[in-house]
Amino acid sequence: MGDPGALERLLLQHAVQEFLFMEADVLDSRRYEEWLGLLTEDIHYWMPVRRTTTAREVDREFTKPGGIAFFDDDLAMLKMRVNRMLLGRAWAEDPPSRTRRLITNVRVVSGSAESEGDEVTVASNFQLYRTRLDSEEDSWLGRREDVLRRVDGGFRLARRHIYLEQTVILSQNLSSLF
Amino acid sequence: MAAVMDRDYYDVETGVLDRTIYADEDIYREELAKIFGRAWNFMCHESQVPEPGDFFLNWIGEDQVIVVRGRDRVIRVLLNTCPHRGNTVCRAELGNTQRFLCSYHGWNFHLDGTLAGMPGEEVFYRGNLDKSAWGLKQAAQVDSYHGFVFATLDPTAPPLPDYLGWVGRLGLDFMASQGELEFLDGVQKNRIRCNWKIAVDNLFDWYHVKVSHGSVLQVGLFDEASLAPMEQMVLLGEFGHGIGGPGISEEKFDEAVARVRGGPGAREWYDRTVRDRMQPEATELLGPVGRRSFGHPNIFPNLWVSTSPQVCLRIPRGPGETELWWFSFQPKEASDNHKRRNVYMANHWFGPGGILEQDDSENWSHATRGARGRFSRTLPSNLTMGKGADRVAEDPSGQARIETVVNEHGQRWTYRSWQEWMRAESWQELMANHSMPPTGTV
Ligand code: FES
Ligand SMILES: [Fe+2]
Repeated sequence: MGDPGALERLLLQHAVQEFLFMEADVLDSRRYEEWLGLLTEDIHYWMPVRRTTTAREVDREFTKPGGIAFFDDDLAMLKMRVNRMLLGRAWAEDPPSRTRRLITNVRVVSGSAESEGDEVTVASNFQLYRTRLDSEEDSWLGRREDVLRRVDGGFRLARRHIYLEQTVILSQNLSSLF
Repeated sequence: MAAVMDRDYYDVETGVLDRTIYADEDIYREELAKIFGRAWNFMCHESQVPEPGDFFLNWIGEDQVIVVRGRDRVIRVLLNTCPHRGNTVCRAELGNTQRFLCSYHGWNFHLDGTLAGMPGEEVFYRGNLDKSAWGLKQAAQVDSYHGFVFATLDPTAPPLPDYLGWVGRLGLDFMASQGELEFLDGVQKNRIRCNWKIAVDNLFDWYHVKVSHGSVLQVGLFDEASLAPMEQMVLLGEFGHGIGGPGISEEKFDEAVARVRGGPGAREWYDRTVRDRMQPEATELLGPVGRRSFGHPNIFPNLWVSTSPQVCLRIPRGPGETELWWFSFQPKEASDNHKRRNVYMANHWFGPGGILEQDDSENWSHATRGARGRFSRTLPSNLTMGKGADRVAEDPSGQARIETVVNEHGQRWTYRSWQEWMRAESWQELMANHSMPPTGTV
C-alpha cells in the first residue's frame, strides 16, 4: 500500500463518526443529562445569525463570534437549558418534541489520531427533524463544525459551531439542541 | 364594500373581545391599510445605516421597504418594488450599494429612489419615458427619535413626535437614558403561527410570566421578585401607545436593587438599570413618574421596547403568522464588561433560542388556533382583569399613571385603540374620534 497513514485516518474517521452518531442518539432519546456528560468544561456552543447579502458582500452573511447569535452558550447555559427540560415547566418541550437527527458528510478537517489530548476538528452536515403535538413540523438542515477533544480515551465535544440554512428562522422557536 | 368593522369586536363596557379578529382574512386585509398603512412604523436604528449607500430591508405591513442612507446622508424609505413591472429591486437584506439595479429588465435607481436609467432608453423607449415620473415610491414621511427611524405611508399622519406622544416618547427615552446606543450587528428573526396582535398584547401581560416562564424561575435565570414583581405601573398614551409592567415606588428603590437575585447577567442588569434611574439626569429625561417605570412600552402598533436594551417588531404575515425581529443595542461608552453582558442577555433571554421566549410561541399559536374553530371563535376572550378597580393618578408633571397589581389595562387600551383605528376612514377622522387616555376610575 502506498499510503502509510491511511489506516490511522480510517480509524480516526470511524471513531469520530461513532461519537457523533452516538451523540445524536442520546439527544433523539432525550437523554439530556447524559448529553451534558459528553461536553468539556470549556465548551462553546454557537449558532450565528445568517443574512441574505449580495455575492459581493457575502463576508457579511454570518454574524461574528462575540456578537449577536441564536446560541452562544457555555456549559452553565447548556446545563440551564437541560435543567429546564427536566423540571417540567418548559412548555416548549412539554409535551416533549419528537426529534430525529441525520448526521452525514462527516469529514475530519484537522487533527490526528495518535497523540493523547489532541483535538480533532470535524465538519458534518445534519438534518434535524422535529414534530410537536399534532401539527407542528420543523426541519432544520445545516453544517456543524465541531472540535472533539480526547478525554480518558474517548471524545468530548469542546466546541460546536452550527450554520443553519435559514435567515428568518421558520419555526416558532429553537428549543431543540443541534 | 361591506364594512369589515360592522360591529364592536372589542366591547369597551365589558372588556371582552371577539376572537374573530385573530383569524378573519378581511379584517387582516383592512389592518394592512388602516393600521400599518397609516401608522409610523419602526424601520431601523440610524447606526444600522451609518454610511451613504448603506441599506436595510424592512416591512410596512406586507409592503417591503428599503431603508437607505443617501449621498446627502439623508435616510429615505423606498418601496421595494420596481415601477416598471413590480419586481423587487433590492434582494439583499442589508449591505452597501451605489444604486439599486432591477434584475428583471435593468431599470436602475439612485439612492434617493429617482430613476437613473434603463437599457434601451433611446433605442427602445425612443427617449419618450419621463424618468422623473417613474422613480421608486417613497414613504410619505420619515423621521427619527433618539436615532430610532420611523416611516409612514400616509402623508396626512401627524408628525412623529406628536404621533408618539409623551408615552411613546417615554418608551424610547428609556433607551436613551442608557446612553448613546449603537446597534449590535444581527437581527434575530423567526416566524410564529400566531396573529400579530396576540404577540403585541402579550408584551403588557405580566400575568403569564410565572406560568409561561415558570421554568426560568426553577433553573434560577431569574428570581420571582425580578421576573414577576407585584407592584405594577401602567401608562396609557394617545393612539394606542402604552407602557405596562413593574413600577417601583420611591421608598423601595434601594430595596428593589438589593432583592434581585438571578442567573448570570440578570442581577447586574437589573442593578444597573435601577441605579441609573436613581440619578438626577434620569429624572430630567424620564420625569418623576417615568423613571420609576420598568414596564414594557409598545409603540403602536407593533414595536416592543425592552430595556435590555432591545426592540422587537411583530410583523404581520397573514392573519395566522407573525415574524418577530429582535434588534439589540449597547451603550457606545460602556465598559467591555458591560458590553459583554449586553450581548449575553440579547443572546439568551429573547429570540427563538432565548430561554425566556421559547415558551411563549406555542401559547400564542394555540391562542390563534382557538380563534379558527367554527364554534371556538364565537367564544369571547376575557380581558377583564382589574377593570373598574383602579384609578388613574394624575401628576403635576403630566405623567398620569395607574399604580396597581398585575392587570390588563394595557391590553384593553390596545384593543380599544385598535378598534378606533379600524373604524376611522382617515387620519382626520381618527384625530377627531380617538379616545383620550382614561382618567378617574379605569
Ligand atoms: S420590472 Fe424592473 S426593470 Fe422591469
Ligand atoms: Fe412571555
